Amino acid sequence: MHDKLIQKLEILSDAAKYDASCASGSAGKRHAGKAEKTGIGSLTGGAGICHSFTPDGRCVSLLKILMTNYCIYDCHYCINRVSSNVQRARFSVKETVDLTLNFYKRNYIEGLFLSSGIVGSPDITMESMVRIAKSLRLDHGFKGYIHLKTIPNASPELQAEAGLYADRLSINVEMPTQSSLNKYAPEKDLSDIHGSMNSLKDKIAEHKFDKTFSGKRPPRFAPGGQSTQMIIGADDSNDKTILGTSVKLYSQQKLRRVYYSAFSPIPHASEVLPLKPAPLIREHRLYQADWLLRFYGFELNEILQDDMLDMDYDPKLAWALRNRHLFPIDLNKADKQLLLRVPGLGARTVQKILSIRRNTKLNWVDLTKMRLPLKKLKPFISVGDYFPDIHLLDSNNFELQFKQPKQFELFSA
Amino acid sequence: MKTITISSVPGFDEWRQVSRECLANLITPEDIIWQGAQATQDDLFGNIIDNASSNKTQRNLRIPKPLLMLLKYALCHQDESRFALCYRVLWRVIYENKNLIHLKTDDDVMQLYSMAKAVKRDAYKMSAFLRFREVILEGQEHFIAWYEPEHFCLEVKLDFFKTRFKNMRWSILTPYRAAHWNTETLVLEDNPDPSVVPNNDRIESYWLTYYSNIFNPARIKTNAMLSQMPKKYWKNMPETTLIDDMIKQSDARARKMISDGNTQQSD
Repeated sequence: MHDKLIQKLEILSDAAKYDASCASGSAGKRHAGKAEKTGIGSLTGGAGICHSFTPDGRCVSLLKILMTNYCIYDCHYCINRVSSNVQRARFSVKETVDLTLNFYKRNYIEGLFLSSGIVGSPDITMESMVRIAKSLRLDHGFKGYIHLKTIPNASPELQAEAGLYADRLSINVEMPTQSSLNKYAPEKDLSDIHGSMNSLKDKIAEHKFDKTFSGKRPPRFAPGGQSTQMIIGADDSNDKTILGTSVKLYSQQKLRRVYYSAFSPIPHASEVLPLKPAPLIREHRLYQADWLLRFYGFELNEILQDDMLDMDYDPKLAWALRNRHLFPIDLNKADKQLLLRVPGLGARTVQKILSIRRNTKLNWVDLTKMRLPLKKLKPFISVGDYFPDIHLLDSNNFELQFKQPKQFELFSA
Repeated sequence: MKTITISSVPGFDEWRQVSRECLANLITPEDIIWQGAQATQDDLFGNIIDNASSNKTQRNLRIPKPLLMLLKYALCHQDESRFALCYRVLWRVIYENKNLIHLKTDDDVMQLYSMAKAVKRDAYKMSAFLRFREVILEGQEHFIAWYEPEHFCLEVKLDFFKTRFKNMRWSILTPYRAAHWNTETLVLEDNPDPSVVPNNDRIESYWLTYYSNIFNPARIKTNAMLSQMPKKYWKNMPETTLIDDMIKQSDARARKMISDGNTQQSD
């Protein structure tokens, strides 16, 4: 390796940093067998390990790079669009494979997250990406994590081959609506993207459940499923549209994960883009809402009263404030679904409460020992020896105590 | 009152065997003073059993697996009070309340969980933040890491490293013990010499390049970083030397990203 490679790495990791989906999700267990004398790596079964953290608070789990940042497309939000004058570079298949293995051997990473600008044609690009994954798996016995960002218009055969070597495949929808795509990513088509997602979904399901007549499982196919990303605040889509798109992606395309990435200004930006970054708090609220939809049993229309999420209160608290008549909730009696709706109780805490309840009655002292956010919880719950002042919930300006002080935002107006 | 010394580190197997006999002989938690290897051995364990053996119980001393796992983790904690706590919990589970560990607000149970959790977290951080450096030994690649866990975590993570890096030759050195793997067998060595750890590595500069470029200067969240990667872990992670400068320069870098955009728009 030499300095030129360092320069390429600079360009192609810098170009990848705008993609939020850094995590390596769970894709089952895998490692070299006892008799295997070559091969490296393992999947431990749970979510991938975060090997480092950068000052933006993000976890570094994978070698997240672009194969190349040359691109024939002209998506306005993208720093690598053809009309941008950034420095360009391209990794060879071997360079990418070597870098991944060298990083992995030093325990820097869990694996590779590879995306790419489009060079030549979607098929030519996709073919090189598949070669990288294939070489890692077959030439080097690599058992770590591989996430490929598939190219939307690449042939179904190449996408199918990608799934044989990758743990996760993803296609970024980028914008929640076709009209936004038309404006910001003229070469991208929402129905094409959904089409690709659907065919991958079918393949994933097929490989997961089908057994051949001999009872043998077919080869693994993207066991970690699919994910996608939407850019928030570059177009004028509201939270209702964004979350509505997510709900569809989760239910129809069976995505594992939708990532939200607050638009942040890029060098050499196109003139149709806003000049200011989208507030990070909006991205945060969208993630909270996404979580409530997936793990807390909330429906979209419960979370959203208007077109936008409340920025002052987290969506669960906002829901509770709108439904004060349901509170206080008795932690010794309420069922799991209801406990999950109490502001300040996370899924794990609820599990703990249920476990304690089977053996003994919960009192106030138990809550203090569990280190719960008591100030937040107090008006919404009752336990054995504690019942809140019933006038509290209906008092004037009750909600103001929860309002968070305005956070410092870089470049806020 | 008897004093029992656990001379091995972290001491799980030794503690387990001794505890089993103490339980069988109905020696109450209040009657034992536990101490770790650092203390002087002034009372031999064998005597206790002989004196008390007339009082032997016939009770089944099987420990449920979830509790055993919990004890296993807690016993890797560096605090010497772990031995007494674990014995007290075990005693209470067997002679007082077999559902004790579900009482998550019982003081002993909470303490046990919090010790086990501290060890698990520390062990996880070891698998995350440990960094190998490459040397050539007898013509072959060998990877060496120096790591200072807060608790006795090497034992917890040995299987992880053996599985993940099975076909690699490696050595992990911690202040209390080293593990050496030659692709087939594992050798443990107490109090290893840290001077064998190399000062550099041919790939490290690529890692530093990657680390400083993958971060987005327009969104600084130092506290989020620190809560996941507290400074106590920094000294053996080469990339952390870059952090101060990355934060200092982030404002200028982010402003430049915007001004670059603006210039183009006014063109």
